[in-house]
Amino acid sequence: MEWTHKDLLGINLLTGEEIEYLLERGNYFRGFLDSSPKKMKWGEGYYLVNFFLEPSTRTRVSFEMAGRLSGMEVVNFTTEISSFQKGENLEDTAKTLARMKFNVLVVRHRQSGIVEYLAQLLPLHVINAGDGMREHPTQALLDLLTLQRKFGYFKGLKVAIVGDILHSRVARSLTLGLKKLGAEVFLSGPPTLLPPAMESLGGKIVFPVEKAVEGIDVIYLLRIQKERQEAGYFPSVREYAHFFGWKEKWLNKENSGPFIMHPGPINRGVEIGYNLEGEKFSLIEEQVTCGVAIRMAVLETLLQGETQ
Amino acid sequence: MNKILIKGGTVVFPHQGVLQDVDILVEKGLITRIEKGIEDAKAFPINASNLLVGPGFVNLHVHLREPGREVEENLLTGSRAAARGGFTSIVSMPNTHPPIDNPLLVRYLLLRAREVGLVNIFPAGAITVGLEGKEMAEYGLLKEAGAVALSDDGRGVQDSHLLYLAFQYAQYFHLPFILHEEDETLSRDGEISEGETSILLGKKAIPRVAEESPMARDLILAYRTGARVHFTHLSTSLEVELLRWFQNKMPTSADVTPHHLLLTDDDVLQLGTEAKVKPPLRSLEDQKALKEGIREGVIPILASDHAPHPLEEKDRSFSEVPFGISNLEITVPLYAKALIEEGVINWVELWEKLSYNPALFLGLHNKGILEEGKDADITIVDPGTKKTVEVSKFESRGKNCPFENWSLLGWPFYTIVGGKIVMAEGSIVESEFC
Repeated sequence: MEWTHKDLLGINLLTGEEIEYLLERGNYFRGFLDSSPKKMKWGEGYYLVNFFLEPSTRTRVSFEMAGRLSGMEVVNFTTEISSFQKGENLEDTAKTLARMKFNVLVVRHRQSGIVEYLAQLLPLHVINAGDGMREHPTQALLDLLTLQRKFGYFKGLKVAIVGDILHSRVARSLTLGLKKLGAEVFLSGPPTLLPPAMESLGGKIVFPVEKAVEGIDVIYLLRIQKERQEAGYFPSVREYAHFFGWKEKWLNKENSGPFIMHPGPINRGVEIGYNLEGEKFSLIEEQVTCGVAIRMAVLETLLQGETQ
Repeated sequence: MNKILIKGGTVVFPHQGVLQDVDILVEKGLITRIEKGIEDAKAFPINASNLLVGPGFVNLHVHLREPGREVEENLLTGSRAAARGGFTSIVSMPNTHPPIDNPLLVRYLLLRAREVGLVNIFPAGAITVGLEGKEMAEYGLLKEAGAVALSDDGRGVQDSHLLYLAFQYAQYFHLPFILHEEDETLSRDGEISEGETSILLGKKAIPRVAEESPMARDLILAYRTGARVHFTHLSTSLEVELLRWFQNKMPTSADVTPHHLLLTDDDVLQLGTEAKVKPPLRSLEDQKALKEGIREGVIPILASDHAPHPLEEKDRSFSEVPFGISNLEITVPLYAKALIEEGVINWVELWEKLSYNPALFLGLHNKGILEEGKDADITIVDPGTKKTVEVSKFESRGKNCPFENWSLLGWPFYTIVGGKIVMAEGSIVESEFC
C-alpha cells in the first residue's frame, strides 16, 4: 500500500486499512523477534532520537530496541542534562535536533497536541510516544497486534477498558483503533474518571464494572496514578483496588476468559493482584514483545516513504 | 407469641393517600393480612379503636452521638427516644467522635444497633474524611458496610470541586446525599438569624444567604452531575423557591424540622439558649414559606434534626452553649400542631412525609408502606388526646428542648418494629412479651 504520512501522530489520523498494514508488518517482525541472533539492516544509516520530556522507561527502551534491531543508530535525549535546565525552549531544542540531521524524532510530552506542532515545524519523521492526555498511537498499535495474534479477528471482538479513562491517552488511542477495526469497546471505572463525553470516541460507558466485563473477550486495565487520588478523583487506593481491580469473579463461567491486558507498569495489588501476570489469561507479557515489533513496523513504514 | 393483631383502627395508607377501617395481622416480622374483621385467637391483640395505624415513621435526621459523646446520647437512649416518638427507622448522622467516615465504624454502629435491638438504625457515612471537607471518604466501602446515605451534617462542604467530584463518584454506588448547607465564610461565628432580634440582642447573626447560596450551588452541581441530593433542615423562604425552580428539572428532596415550623427568631428573646439552633430560627415569613412548601409537596419529607445535649450544656451563657434541640420523642405531635391543627395538611399527608417518602428516598422498599409481605414496622398514633410535654421524662439524654409544657395532640401510642412491640401506650416495652 502507498504510505502517505510523514509522521505517526495519532490513531485518529489513520485509516483502518493503514492500521491493518502496520499490524501485518508488526506480525512479521514479531516472528523475527523469536529468531536468534537477530539483526536487520534496513535501518542502517538512519538516526533516531528519543526526545522524552516525561518519565518513561518501557516505551523509550522499546523504541531504542526497535531502532537497533533495524540497524538504526539511537540517541537518547534526557532532560536532566539538557539545555531545558538552562531555559532553552522546546521549539529551539527540537529544531536543533533536526539540524543535527536526525531522521526520526520520537516525542513524549505532557502537553496534548504538541506533536502536530513539531511535525509541521520539522522536516524529520515525528513519532508520538504519548502527548498529554491525548494519544499514544504505538501503544494502541501494539495492543491491537497482541489482540490480532490472540484472536485473529476484530469484528465483534468485545473489549472493556477499565480505570482512569479521563487522563488516559492509551484509552483514547486504543478505543479509536478498536473502533476502526470493527471491535466493540466498553468503558468503565470511577465516574469521576469517565466523563460521558468519552463516548464520542466510540466506546460505550457501562456501570458498574461487573456489568461492563460480562460476556467480554478482553479486559484492558489502565494504570491508576497516585496523583489522581491526591487530586480527589477517588478516595483511596484500597477502595479503588476493591471495586475496580481485577478479581476472579470476573472470569466467565466457561473459564475461558476474559483475557487481561495492561499497558504497564502494573501497580501490584491495585489494578491486578499479586499472582496474575503469569496466569493463563494474561496477555501483558506478550504486549511488551509486540511493542518492539510494532515499533519496528512503524519505523520501517515511515522510512520506506523516505527511500521511495 | 409471634403474631400481633391490630383491630379496630383507622389505617393510613400514605402511598395511596387513603384511610380505611381494616385490621392488620402481623406474623414473624411481616405484615401477613390486611382486611376487615380478622380473627386470630393466637395473636396478641391491640385495640386500635379511635387510633390511627400506619407504616412506621422513618426519620432522616437524628444525632445519636455514639461513638464518642455517649454522655449526650447513645444508641440505647436514642433508640428508646425514637421508639417513643413512633420512629421505627432512623438515620444516624456521622458527626460523632470519631466521625463515621470509614467502613469499620459503620459496622460498629450496626453491631451496636443489633445489640440494642429496638428500632432500625441506618448509618449515614461522611462525605469527607473527618468531616474536614478536604478529601472524599470511601463511599464504596461505606456502602458495602451498610451506610445508606452521605452527609457531613453539622458542617457544609465548602470546596465546590470536592463536592463536584463527590457527586459524580457516589453515583457509582447509588448513594444519596443529605446536605447540611452552610457557607462558613457567611455564617462565621453567628449565633442567631439576622434580623430585628439579632440587632436587639446585639448577637452576631447568621444571614439567610449562609444557607441559600451553597444550596443554590449544590442544586446546580446535582443538576449537572445527576447526583441524588436531599437538603435537610430548610429554614428560609428562598430555599423553598430554589427547590421549586429545580423540581421540574430533576428529582429534588428536602426536609424541615418541627422547631423551624413552630418557633421564630423572636422566640429567642423568651427561650434563650434553648432556642439556639443551626440553622437559626428565622422569621414568620420564612415559616409560612416552609409550610407552603410542605403543602405543595416541594418539601416531601419531615425530619427531626434531633440534636441532644445534656441540660448542663444549655445552662451556660448563650455564646457557650452548643447549637441543637432535642425533639425525637415529640416530633410527631409537634408536626401535628404545626401542620394539622393549622390546616396545612391532613393526617394521611403528614404520614406520607414521615414514612413513605423518607423510606422511598433511602430505597427501603419494604418500609414506609403497609402491604402484605412488607416489614411489620407499624406506628399507631392517638390523634385525639392532649398531653403535655415533660422534658424531664424524655428517654433521650438530651433535655435541651424549648417545648416544655406545650400541650400537644397526636402522640404515638404504639411502635412496632419488625413485628415486635417496642413501645406501648407511650412507654418502652422493657421485655419482649410477644
